[in-house]
Amino acid sequence: MKWLYRIVSLIAAVVFLVPLVWMLVVSIKQEGMKIVTLVDWFTPPYSFGVYGQVIRETKLMNWVWNSFFVAVVITILTVVMAAMAGFAMSKMPFRYKTFMFFVILAGLLIPGEAVIIPLYQTAKDLHILNTYSGLIFPMLASPIAVIILKSFFDGVPNDLIESVQIDGGGTWRIFMNIMLPLTRPAVASMLILTFIGSWNNFLWPFLSVTDDKLFTLPMGIPTLMNQYSTDYVKPMVINTISSLPIIILFLIFERQIVKGISLSGIKG
Amino acid sequence: MRMTKLRADVQALLFLLPFLVVYLLFTIYPMIKGVQMSFYKWTLIKKIKYVGWQNYENMFKDNDFWASIWHSTIFVLLTTPTMIVLAIALALIANRNSRLQKLYRSVFFVPSILSVAVVSFLGLFIFQPYTGFLNSLLHLIQALPQGKEIFWLTETNLAWIAVGAITLWWTVGFNFILYLSAMQDIPDDIYEAARLDGATDSQTFWQITLPLLNPITKTITMLQIIASFKVFLQIYIITGGGPLDQTRSVIQYIWQTGFRKNNLGYAATMSYMLFFILLVLSALQYWMNNRKEAQLR
Repeated sequence: MKWLYRIVSLIAAVVFLVPLVWMLVVSIKQEGMKIVTLVDWFTPPYSFGVYGQVIRETKLMNWVWNSFFVAVVITILTVVMAAMAGFAMSKMPFRYKTFMFFVILAGLLIPGEAVIIPLYQTAKDLHILNTYSGLIFPMLASPIAVIILKSFFDGVPNDLIESVQIDGGGTWRIFMNIMLPLTRPAVASMLILTFIGSWNNFLWPFLSVTDDKLFTLPMGIPTLMNQYSTDYVKPMVINTISSLPIIILFLIFERQIVKGISLSGIKG
Repeated sequence: MRMTKLRADVQALLFLLPFLVVYLLFTIYPMIKGVQMSFYKWTLIKKIKYVGWQNYENMFKDNDFWASIWHSTIFVLLTTPTMIVLAIALALIANRNSRLQKLYRSVFFVPSILSVAVVSFLGLFIFQPYTGFLNSLLHLIQALPQGKEIFWLTETNLAWIAVGAITLWWTVGFNFILYLSAMQDIPDDIYEAARLDGATDSQTFWQITLPLLNPITKTITMLQIIASFKVFLQIYIITGGGPLDQTRSVIQYIWQTGFRKNNLGYAATMSYMLFFILLVLSALQYWMNNRKEAQLR
């Protein structure tokens, strides 16, 4: 029984890893090799030659940079805005607060895909199609982040806030010196999940950008793939280069990512 | 006193303002704009003319649209139950293996962080006939005779299996993590007591673990249904929506109508139908969650 369980576990792990291992191994083959059986993909000779070629001849590195830049800006702005709003909703008294809460809550019910057509028209009217602003600003509003961060701010004791106020500290200082440090794990999880979401976001960049200098990876990859259909080496190099940054990030921040998912599941 | 109240309002507004500006401009306003667009003949270039309920009438008569709704539904029916069973199975594997738990967790989760484009092309290359990974593997272990090929991507049923399998591989990680953390929240004394009473492993699983996972299963089911209904890119890349549009999803149809057939007005109309369907599903989720809480009280 114990052995059966171990074997099943091992098989599951292998099945999950095989597509990635295959991707990596094929990416370091030479182009034009004859593949007769499955084994030929995994045997030497290996070479990184195609990597150099892809980096030189395509805009892939440009797109890696675009994806990275857009994701970083979106992540910081989204979480800062959501934290400020969540703080106001949690700790600040003001009129029409209940109404405001419902307005934000309503956003949870609006799926981005369902407003993407009028969003395109809105971005067009604002003349931000085919710009970095167009890639960034429409993606910043995250009601779910506001609600989750609010629920964490709710857990910060009011005594702490009052003690800062007695010392003459303003609201901004309470926000920066009390709220954010005390909820750091939640904020960190929020940052990393927003980053991954943005890095992998497809539909909006796909609709809003037609200039290939502004492409992000998810939309750039398909345009490259169409050129190569017979040999897998170049496609796999493209896949690998596109995936490495996010895999490295995952290895560094795995703990925060896992925590963030558990949190969003509880709220979800 | 009046003054301080006003000051409190202004201060709160300042903190809410950055979020509210992007939220109103890029979520709420498009929501309203979409209503207007759905009553117009509206192209990528400009608004053409007011057409009343024409777009809505067309939608109800448009067989291609309802077919695409059905295809997305097939995808939901195919992936949701399998997703839950797989996520529980993987969580059991990781949970019981205390020594290698972290390793298993990383292995099962890592596909989830990949870009949908990367995943789709991996899927395309895995299921390709003649040169794909899966058929080569089947040839190697002689499950498939030399010279014979399985055409995964050009037969509708096989295409669904291919797209479903690659989606499971890609997205099961999130649900796996949710199940794993739920399993770890189950106190050890419960298992201890069951063991002392002589319960077998399978009895423990069916009568303790699974019922205690019930709340998270409900949540995951609803979130999964909504997420699967919005499928687009992996089908579009792997099958192109084919064969003969038999796997075309509703988002793909909306996109093609808007951006390939240059009919944003009609695309907006169909978006509203999609929104309505997702809203009903969300309401169902809300209702189920509330009922769950009511039972607990």
